[in-house]
Amino acid sequence: MENPVILETKNITKDFPGVRALDSVSFQLKKGEVLGLVGENGAGKSTLMKIFSGAYPANTYDGEIFIEGKRCILSGPKDSQRAGIAIIYQELNLIPELTVAENIFLAREPTVGKTGIIDRKKLFSQAKDLLDRLNIPVPPEEQIKNLSIGKQQMVEIAKALSYQAKILILDEPTSALPEQEVEVLFKMIGSLRSRGVSMIYISHKLDEIFKITDSVTVMRDGKTVASRRTPELSRQEMVALMVGRNIEDMYPKKSLAAGEVVLEVKNLFVSHPFLAGEKVVKDMSFKVRKGEILGISGLMGSGRSELVTSIFGAFPADSSGEIYVGGKQVKIRSPYEAINYGLGLVTEDRKLFGLVLGMQVGENITLSCLEKLSWHQIIIRSRESELINKYMGALRVKARSAETVVNTLSGGNQQKVVIAKWLATDPKVLLLDEPTRGVDVGAKVEIYQLMNKLAGEGIGIVMVSSDLPEVVSMSDRILIMHEGRMVKELQKNEATQEKIMFYATGGK
Amino acid sequence: MKNQDKNGLVRAIIGKYGNLIGLIVLIVLTTILTNGTFFTQRNLINVLRQVSVNGILAVGMTLVIITGGIDLSVGSVVALTGVIVALIQPLGTTAAIALTLLIGAMIGGWNGFFITKFRIPSFIITLGMMTIARGLALVFSKGEAISGLNDSFSAISESYISPVISLTVFGFLCLLIVFLYVKERRSSGYERKIFTFNFISVLNVMFIAAAIAVLVWLIGFRGMPAGVAVFLGIAFLGAYTLNQTRFGRYVYAIGGNEEASRLSGINVRTVKFLVFLIMGVLAAISGMVLAARLNSGVPTSGVMFELDAIASVVIGGTSLSGGYGSVGGSIIGAFIIGTLNNGMQLLHIDPFYQEIAKGAIIIGAVLMDRKKK
Repeated sequence: MENPVILETKNITKDFPGVRALDSVSFQLKKGEVLGLVGENGAGKSTLMKIFSGAYPANTYDGEIFIEGKRCILSGPKDSQRAGIAIIYQELNLIPELTVAENIFLAREPTVGKTGIIDRKKLFSQAKDLLDRLNIPVPPEEQIKNLSIGKQQMVEIAKALSYQAKILILDEPTSALPEQEVEVLFKMIGSLRSRGVSMIYISHKLDEIFKITDSVTVMRDGKTVASRRTPELSRQEMVALMVGRNIEDMYPKKSLAAGEVVLEVKNLFVSHPFLAGEKVVKDMSFKVRKGEILGISGLMGSGRSELVTSIFGAFPADSSGEIYVGGKQVKIRSPYEAINYGLGLVTEDRKLFGLVLGMQVGENITLSCLEKLSWHQIIIRSRESELINKYMGALRVKARSAETVVNTLSGGNQQKVVIAKWLATDPKVLLLDEPTRGVDVGAKVEIYQLMNKLAGEGIGIVMVSSDLPEVVSMSDRILIMHEGRMVKELQKNEATQEKIMFYATGGK
Repeated sequence: MKNQDKNGLVRAIIGKYGNLIGLIVLIVLTTILTNGTFFTQRNLINVLRQVSVNGILAVGMTLVIITGGIDLSVGSVVALTGVIVALIQPLGTTAAIALTLLIGAMIGGWNGFFITKFRIPSFIITLGMMTIARGLALVFSKGEAISGLNDSFSAISESYISPVISLTVFGFLCLLIVFLYVKERRSSGYERKIFTFNFISVLNVMFIAAAIAVLVWLIGFRGMPAGVAVFLGIAFLGAYTLNQTRFGRYVYAIGGNEEASRLSGINVRTVKFLVFLIMGVLAAISGMVLAARLNSGVPTSGVMFELDAIASVVIGGTSLSGGYGSVGGSIIGAFIIGTLNNGMQLLHIDPFYQEIAKGAIIIGAVLMDRKKK
């Protein structure tokens, strides 16, 4: 039995400055099916979803969208809502202080006549009807903040369906859920499917994809590379489709004889910043040698970023374990201390954590090493500009001058400024968290060459990355993390993207 | 095309010198309306003195606001420190001044401690301190003005530094500034000359020359009033600290992106703590200059001074969201408010209307700032 198509796109192309995020994507969702959408980070999944949600209005991309066979122009979130599309994001959009019923009917509460006074009786009874119909065991009078994440998610789904949603998009819905709530969610998805609701299920966890989806669409590099019935695909095939590409020369990796150990981590545990008793990093031990690039791979939420920020003394939660820099045990309590021990951290999100966007290129470069450029408190300008010129030249930062405000640079050049800032501190160990995210291909290659050069100068490099080809090609060794733990260590010659994906998605 | 260039130039000038042009227009207007009374040596020196008390606060407030904070307590701290310094006059002028500075530092440090240690918004902590300090001022003075200050103390505002000495020091300071400027230009190699000849740079030089000429003319009258000298010294120090020191750079960085600053190894807490401590010290200095001018410690003085200081900073182009601004701008802002106050007094405008006019100017200045961006 073949269901009719409910949502279809034809040749959607969306460009960002310097990057083609979606490249004539054609995509089909059938009525009453659960479609798994998979792909690496940056494959274009979230861009496509933002087009469906109206976050990117119709005039910012090319291509056509059809819903139930009719051409639709989605110029904003309101249009999507009217067309029957609803998205449940990882971050829930509920107001914690309000009740379940108030959240569901936010901004369209039933009122007493035309007075504008909320008819609370009607509000709660309508909410109760809705929740009962969907078999959601949540009292409508309860405040959202007293509900578990799983229950909150159900409320959000109920809210979406109360808008007559026909197409429900679930973006990594299980990333914050404990095991037993995942089961409840899956049951709910099953019952919604039997009511004819169509769903797009986005997840990195392939187990889940195999368990609950009817069909799968794989995206890679802004294109849909395959659409199949789920049972027709094996795990290996799916992974191969997700990562399959061939750009060897993009990665100019040179391998060096590794020297002495510059950084050693023993039995590192890191607590969750909010949840008492939970750990985000569990029992990590590893060594980094001079001239070595150690790759750390894993899915989002596997504890990769937490690991490096915690080593750098910047993670806002307790940790236990031992850290040795250059053979000496150290206790790092703040980024300031980390810098003094010779560590540098290129953070994941340069706009939020890496740069002071309103300041000049030069001021950003010297921000971490002003101490050595000053006589007591007074900044010695000649020394400062000498250093700025040196690193702007070495990294080929393309800016009008050192006084250009960093905000006006392209992503790749901004990233070079962040790296320059750390190089200016003369680090022994450089921790790179997603060093090429949001950077165009040309600048990527330049950053790789730079990493080679730094390794050649004897810096130990730890590179956290979800870009699989990058990890495979640029690392001497790769640690794979899953749920806070190191699940596998691969040497350069044995590492493949498929193997990494296999272990990172929980394969054993 | 040509027209567009012209528009661009006009916008650049307004963007960079909007508040300065505003000040000049205001001065010219006030001079005309008062038939020249405004622009006499005697009155301008009066304006300078009035501006000094607010100007000292505005320098500190610039630092506070650039880090993204606010200090509402300064007006009350002016009153409190004025009362305290009047009460402890018997200890001798030097001891009284030193002790009052220490108290200012303690109040500022208290604010800074709560803001950085417990992450309480500066708005709340300093709002509390505003009423605490006011209350303490009334308690210590039993609600009355305390008069009978040492002559040597009143001298910090009322005496004149002789024209010869003030002109020498002033000339020396000007040379120092030119020296620092040239050095900075030289050191940053990137295709920069020491002086580029264009409309804006000529305008720049003209402004500076005019300001120097007026100041020299005023000093020539009877010399430099000591209180004004204190203000100008603090303004110079403040600008120097913000532009030439590590601390100043960190102040901008924290206001621009606190998290990135922390990850860059800046001790964010210490810097913020020090900024509030400095604000406290400057409020104490301002309080003492005011007490010396009034020749008494008045517990009800300094009301709304925090708003004048904040207004000066905002008119001067410093962004309330932090990360951007300058001491120079705040000083221009302080002069705009000072000119406005003095002009309306000379014209015998009802003080009630003065408040309304001031408010309108603040809103106008911020609107202009928005347009610029």
